Amino acid sequence: MTLAERIAAFRATVEEWLRGLYHGMFTHPAYEKIEAEAEDTEDAFMLACFPDAFGIPSPVSYYTAELLPYLEDEYEAWERRMWDRQSVIERKGHQYHF
Amino acid sequence: MTTFTFFGGKGGVGKTTVSSAYALECIDAGLETLVVSTDPAHSTADVFDQEFGDDPRPVEGYDGLSAMEIDPEREVQDHLQELRRQLNAQLSAAMVNEVELQLEMAHQTPGAYEAALFDRFVEVMRTADDYDRVVFDTSPTGSTLRLLALPDLLERWIDRLMDKRERSIDLYEKAAIGNQEPRRVMEGDPILARLQGRKERFEFAGEVLREDAAFYLVMNPDELSIRETARSLETLAEADLPVRGLVVNRLTPEPEPHEEGRGARYLRERVETERDRLERIEREFEPPVVATIETRVEEVRGSLLEDVASDLEIAVETE
Repeated sequence: MTLAERIAAFRATVEEWLRGLYHGMFTHPAYEKIEAEAEDTEDAFMLACFPDAFGIPSPVSYYTAELLPYLEDEYEAWERRMWDRQSVIERKGHQYHF
Repeated sequence: MTTFTFFGGKGGVGKTTVSSAYALECIDAGLETLVVSTDPAHSTADVFDQEFGDDPRPVEGYDGLSAMEIDPEREVQDHLQELRRQLNAQLSAAMVNEVELQLEMAHQTPGAYEAALFDRFVEVMRTADDYDRVVFDTSPTGSTLRLLALPDLLERWIDRLMDKRERSIDLYEKAAIGNQEPRRVMEGDPILARLQGRKERFEFAGEVLREDAAFYLVMNPDELSIRETARSLETLAEADLPVRGLVVNRLTPEPEPHEEGRGARYLRERVETERDRLERIEREFEPPVVATIETRVEEVRGSLLEDVASDLEIAVETE
C-alpha cells in the first residue's frame, strides 16, 4: 500500500466517522422528531376512524371498519401508544429532548 | 336514463300504497319500473300478494314491473361477515381478536343500520340500468330521508381522513433516512385506496340524488303527520334536495248530501276538519299537493291499487 493509498483510506474512515457522529448528534434526533410527529398524525387518524373505541359514536365507523384488515401495524402501535401515553404534554416533551 | 323517485313520510301514512300505485302509473306509461322497499316489515309483499327477495323479481300480473325488498339487518350482518373473512385472511391470529372487538362495535353503533341501507341504495342506483324508473318506498324512520342528506357530510369526513392519512405517510417518508425503507409509503396504500373508493361512491350518490331523483312526501291529514312532514321538508331542503310534491292520503270520503244520521254527521265533521288542514297544508308548505287519496274500506291491494293509481296526479314524465 502506498502512502497515498493509506492516507486516502484513513480519510475515508475519518469521513465515515464524522458523518456517523453528525448523524447521531443532529440528523437522527431530527428524523426521530419527524417520525414522532408522523405517529401523532397517525394517532389522530386512527382516533378519527375509530372513536367508538373510546365510546364516542361515529357516523362513519361502519365504513372505517372496512379499513381494519389493512391496519394491523397501525392498530397495534396505536393501542400501545395510547396505553403508554400519560398526556399530550408528556409525549411532546419526549420530542423536544428537554 | 334511469330516474329515481323517493316516497317518504311518517310511519303508517301509506307510503307503500302510494309508491306501488305510482309504480303502476309508471308501467302504464310504458316505463320499465322497479319498486324498492326498505321497510323491514315489508308491506310490498302484502300489496302485491307475492313474496319478494333481496334481488329484483318481476311482479306477477304486471308487465314491466319488478320489486325487491331490502333487509338492512341482513345487510349489516353480511358486511360484518365479509370483513371478518378479510380479517382472517390478512391479519395474524394474535391481532384478529383485538380487531374483532372493534369490528363488532362498529356494527352496533346507531349509524350502522343507516349506513348499510345507504350502501344498498347506492348499489341499487348503480345497477339500475335495466330500469327506466326506480321507486323507493323508504322505511318509516325519518332517518331514511335524513340519510339521503348525508353524502355531502360523509364526503367531507372521508376527505379529512384522507388528508390526515396522507400527512402521516408524508412524514414517515420524510423520516426515512437515506436508503432506509419508510414505515409507510404513499403509493399503493390500501387505506387511501379504500377511502378513495368510498369517497367516489358518496360523490356518485350525491350527484344522482341531486340530478336524477325526485322526492315526494306522503302524509295524512292529521296534526302529527303535518309536523313530521314539516321536519322532513326542512331536512331535505338543507341538503339541497327539493321535494317535488306532497301526497295526502287517507282523506275521509264525504257522505251524500241527503244522508243524515250519526255516521253521516260524523263524516261531515271529519271532512270539514280535514278540509281545513288540507288548506293549511297548501298554504304553509311550499311543495304543491300533487294528489289526494280517499281512504278505502279495505286494505289496498290488487285491483284496488289500480283504483288508487288513478287518483294520483303525479305526472309521470316519459321523455
